[in-house]
Amino acid sequence: MAKVNPKFAEELKKYGSYDFYACFNCGNCTATCSLSTQESSFPREMIRYTTLGLEDEIKASLKPWECYYCGQCSTECPRNASPGELMMSLRRYLTAAYDWTGLSGILYKSLPITIIAFVLIFLGVIAFAFSVQFDLERMLHVGHLFEAIAIGTIGVVILLPNVARMWYFTILKPKAKVPFLKYVKSLGELFIHMFTQKRALGCDDNQLRWFEHFILVIGYLSLLFTTVVLNWFGTDSLFIIILGYVMSAIVFVVTIDFIRRRRAKKEEMTKHSQPSDILFVAWLFWMGFSAFLVRLFIDLDILDTNKWLYIFHLTVLAQWALVIVPFGKWSHFLYRSFAMYFARLKAKG
Amino acid sequence: MKEKIGVYICHCGGNISDYVKVEELSKMFHEEDNVVVSKDVMFACADSNQKEMIQDIQEFGLDSIVVCSCSPKLHLHTFKNVAERAGLNPSNYVQVNIREQCSWAHSDQPHEATVKAAGLIRAGINRVSYSESLEPIDISVKNTALVLGAGVAGMKAAIDLARSGTEVFIIEKDYFVGGRVAQKETLFPTETNAKQLVTSLYQEMKKYNNISLFAGASIEKVSGSLGNFNIDVKVKPRYLSPNANPQMVKQAMDECTVTSADPFNFGFKSRKAIYKNYPDAWPDVPVVIPELLENEIDYKEKFKTIFNFNEPEQILSLVAGSVLVTTGFNHYEPKEGEYGYKTIDNVITLPELNTLMELNPKQLVYNNKQVKSVAFIYCVGSRQTKGDNKYCSRQCCTSTIHTSLQLKEKYKDIQTYHLYRDIRTYGKQELMYEASSKQGDLYFKYEEKEMPVVEKVDNSTIVKVKDYLTAKMPLEIEADLVVLVTGMVPREDSAQISEFLKIPMGSDRFFNEIHPKLKPVETVIKGVYIGGACQGPKNISESVQSSMSGASKIVALLKRGTVSVDPIIARVDSDICTWCGKCAEVCDYTAIREIEVDDKRVAGVNKAVCTGCGICAPVCPVNAIEIAQYTDHEIESMIDGFLFEVDIKEGEVIQNDQHEEDESTGMKEYPQIWKEILAGIQERNTIPEIIQNTGINGDLVTYHLMTMNKYGIVSPDGMDAKEEYYYYKVKN
Repeated sequence: MAKVNPKFAEELKKYGSYDFYACFNCGNCTATCSLSTQESSFPREMIRYTTLGLEDEIKASLKPWECYYCGQCSTECPRNASPGELMMSLRRYLTAAYDWTGLSGILYKSLPITIIAFVLIFLGVIAFAFSVQFDLERMLHVGHLFEAIAIGTIGVVILLPNVARMWYFTILKPKAKVPFLKYVKSLGELFIHMFTQKRALGCDDNQLRWFEHFILVIGYLSLLFTTVVLNWFGTDSLFIIILGYVMSAIVFVVTIDFIRRRRAKKEEMTKHSQPSDILFVAWLFWMGFSAFLVRLFIDLDILDTNKWLYIFHLTVLAQWALVIVPFGKWSHFLYRSFAMYFARLKAKG
Repeated sequence: MKEKIGVYICHCGGNISDYVKVEELSKMFHEEDNVVVSKDVMFACADSNQKEMIQDIQEFGLDSIVVCSCSPKLHLHTFKNVAERAGLNPSNYVQVNIREQCSWAHSDQPHEATVKAAGLIRAGINRVSYSESLEPIDISVKNTALVLGAGVAGMKAAIDLARSGTEVFIIEKDYFVGGRVAQKETLFPTETNAKQLVTSLYQEMKKYNNISLFAGASIEKVSGSLGNFNIDVKVKPRYLSPNANPQMVKQAMDECTVTSADPFNFGFKSRKAIYKNYPDAWPDVPVVIPELLENEIDYKEKFKTIFNFNEPEQILSLVAGSVLVTTGFNHYEPKEGEYGYKTIDNVITLPELNTLMELNPKQLVYNNKQVKSVAFIYCVGSRQTKGDNKYCSRQCCTSTIHTSLQLKEKYKDIQTYHLYRDIRTYGKQELMYEASSKQGDLYFKYEEKEMPVVEKVDNSTIVKVKDYLTAKMPLEIEADLVVLVTGMVPREDSAQISEFLKIPMGSDRFFNEIHPKLKPVETVIKGVYIGGACQGPKNISESVQSSMSGASKIVALLKRGTVSVDPIIARVDSDICTWCGKCAEVCDYTAIREIEVDDKRVAGVNKAVCTGCGICAPVCPVNAIEIAQYTDHEIESMIDGFLFEVDIKEGEVIQNDQHEEDESTGMKEYPQIWKEILAGIQERNTIPEIIQNTGINGDLVTYHLMTMNKYGIVSPDGMDAKEEYYYYKVKN
């Protein structure tokens, strides 16, 4: 028997949600949602769980990840209870709940601590630069090495255990019976959603937003591949150099539009941006833009006289890799696709 | 026997004449039936026809009239007034209903409808020929009202009555006024202090010399009837000397050490042997409980000047022209074990919580423990589909939500849970529900078939509920205090009051009005009115509204000094009557008593009380009782009339368009509603504009336009369907 815990609602407010107490359970939000189905209906159920503080039910639910925030529910809500933003806050809360280190929650709830972490990382980069007497060659070498090591370490130490915890909360703990063969058969679902986000197309009038997002994901993953595997900053291959330029340009150009939209606050989904949302797109932009400039300066042969640029790029990269990827919004890339995979596992037939 | 009868048969603009051969019927009755005038008319109720009827009555010297049209509910009084204006006694008028009973009911069998109408009309003619002139009965009334119960509703009504010059006796069972309201602290929706409200009403009442308050008083005996009720009232003693020094009384109250449980505060406080319900209770005279002071010899000796232990009960005999009952309600008392009431220590009722809050201004403490969370269970003792109280108690949802808002305002850090069946914060009270849900109060919906369960687990109290808002998920709620939202039930002595005053009680044991919409404060007993929650669950505003309308009814009744009552009542033929008492036994209104006429013991009818219901007539073994206007002659002649052989040929009903050409049946004047609609059309207004300008119901306007179109008075010619909906043209 589930126990009512009104304090949970106060906790969730720290993740950005508000006003959900106004809900009088009419269900207009669920009725208007183009992704909600009879088998998996939301967001009303999640609002109810939240107000009652049914934490176990929320952690066991994949529904927050099944929502792609078109904002229709918030527009239609007769009580202005913002169900869309509640779903967004639940995703932030779940990201924190899956994270075994607990750092995610601390960083989500506190902007000052996030800033301190960023400053410390900046100081660390400066300290490293001092230690190598600002030698560009060594900085580039270590920078490249850092990227590869960071991806591997964070993937194994943080992200993989967190996905395992998500699996534990949503499948193992609620005692969903999944035959082993289904895990294999359903793997396709995981990769399709990871690389296409095709579910987002189910939101009404969402083609442009989906396309931009799709391009950004491809651009970002390709840039990652170009810099880490193909060693963009150190290569002589013209093809790789041009590929890097194109990919980094895609990343910073598309993020400009994302930032513009977040600042305009015209759509329901951009009205309530939290610091974590802004940081995510801003740092994507700086990463793409600074990488583009670094390679440009290399090609113009002026990077040696403008070492500050590489230090800036390295700082952005380190902050991204050490804060945003493991503990910030980046992980939605994994959780969303795994949620679709797990949902398929739990589905009948 | 009437010998000059006028008969008017109405077409009702086609409503009747489309199915019943009205014209043929009008030619059926002749002089051998004592009918002098027989006409068919387009609208009998139209002004022009009313004038014509008056002319006929005067010209032909008619001694009675029959109008055959619609239900007497609609136009009985219209034509009674016509008869009166023409100088006829209104009792010499009979209405025959050939619309609801013939044309509407038998539209599929027009011939049979006509035959039935012919029978009914002949029955009406026969009846009217036996009719006698009756004069209204005038009863002199005393301009005095007795108000029973000095709660907010009773006091407000008393003030209104007194202001209009009526002498008022107001009787309160408790020693102090204010009723249930005095037990509260703050009232929704104005956040008024309840005790201040009682004080201000009491002070206002005191301004009127023609209000006499009897506190600690109850009814002992009632006799008499409308205009002259004789009521014996018992006033309980306060055991306080009338010339006691107020200073001494105050000192005696301070120094008294003996106490007993205090029902006014639901036992959360104890009261002294010399007490007032609360410090500002009115009248400002404390009450002594002598039993408690039996062993307090020194105390009694010290204050002997203020006590009067020998004060007797007083019986007062009052005479009142009318009675207003405002005895209020009781809170439903949950059964032992109902949701853990009285078996689990922290389960209380809403009125108890209200008192607890009043006694705890800073921190809500119950059983020496601070209360941080409260679970309300709604509809306790209300809406029981299988229990006694099937009704909704109306005010409890809002009262609970108001309490919830107050809890948060007063004690800040407190969480409330609301287990409801349906929230009924109707009208403006809805805003309170909104405020409550926004402040984070949690609502759970349960159904009667799956009631919440209150359990004690270790040291905490758990409410288990299957929440219909969370897909019937079973939930556990831990609460420091469980509050049962109890409904309203009638006062424990309402059966006794009903017995005294003969007011009928409903199956819910509240007092019954005659008609919820049209006679909402009147009872079947003439001169006895009900107001406030003794009639059924009401909030304070509604209680005061109903008691004030009762007061205005009483003023209208008593102001003239006499009251006319309908002469249609039972009559006893004292030559035949042998006084067996059977009629008195069956009379629901105790209108029949044994009297002596010329040294003979016979049944006597109290004209002021008799309603003419007729129950006494058939039980009389010697047929000594008859009801005016329903005499055996009249009823038998009606039966004869109805069975009279009718000779009507079967055939098509005359079509309506012929009427217009036929001078005799044509309309000389349109009814008022047609005139108004036509005026609107002539000014080229659309139908919605006409509805707005005239204020006539939209459906009626369309209906009448269609009727007028049928008779070619207006037309929508040359318009498409949509335009037709909005416009009609007047045809010349």
